[in-house]
Amino acid sequence: MDPLKNGERVNNFNFLVMPNSYDRNVFLNCPFDKDFLPLLKPLVFTVYRLGFNPRLAIERADSGETRLEKIKEIIESSRFSIHDLSRIKSSSINEYFRMNMPFEIGLDLGCRAYNRNSKYRTKRTLILESERYSYQKGLSDLSGIDPKCHNSDPQELVFQVRTWFSELGYSDLPPGSTVWDDYNIFQADLYEKKSQQGFNKREIDNLPIREFISCIENWIKAHSNNQ
Amino acid sequence: MAPKRVHIIKREEGWAVKKQGAQRASKVYTSKEAAKSGSKKLQKKGHDIIIHKRDGSIEEWRKGK
Repeated sequence: MDPLKNGERVNNFNFLVMPNSYDRNVFLNCPFDKDFLPLLKPLVFTVYRLGFNPRLAIERADSGETRLEKIKEIIESSRFSIHDLSRIKSSSINEYFRMNMPFEIGLDLGCRAYNRNSKYRTKRTLILESERYSYQKGLSDLSGIDPKCHNSDPQELVFQVRTWFSELGYSDLPPGSTVWDDYNIFQADLYEKKSQQGFNKREIDNLPIREFISCIENWIKAHSNNQ
Repeated sequence: MAPKRVHIIKREEGWAVKKQGAQRASKVYTSKEAAKSGSKKLQKKGHDIIIHKRDGSIEEWRKGK
């Protein structure tokens, strides 16, 4: 059965809003630093726009919970995972190799392989990189897993993520060009709304990522109610 | 009534001028500057022209005249 036709709502924009559940959650394992934001923002939007729930380690600020506990909870709650390895390589002298993302892939693949609960055998993993097969130079154990390459281009990233979900059998997805155009419309709506609230351009461009993600979520919900 | 929006959006093959709500772009230009020039007629007709950066964020918002 096509999972997208399982009694779920379709809105004006012809996209779906899903309840939060294992089968819809997507663990996003990627950097959260400023350099990566031009890719992280459309990645989060695309996951929502395709009808899934992005889950990130920064999604909640609970100082009583360690980062590792958060990540383990997210991995166990998510059937899908997207790991962006385009920034694991150190880019300057004396900069350390960035090991968080490879470590979290290991946790995710370990959950799939070793957890006794059989539902974890259905986990699906996408690896993204900016240069084809570059990650294998530092993580050759993953040879044989076919990554997708976005060339550090936000539009290409949208297309690659959409293609991956399509390859998993989700056949009623909107075209990548529609997702990309909707992301641009969302950016315009956000700019207009925040300007009206007194934010200047610099403040809008530098919204904290959690606030930005919340705006995406509200935009998706608002458009899903227009049916 | 809110002015109609026209977006200048990055495309694989260049920069598209697209009215919000339209199925297809009015035209795709090879350069962003050409797309900006090409949108001037629409701005004179009262459309807001929203110029996006490569990452989708807003570079400039030109109010319709």
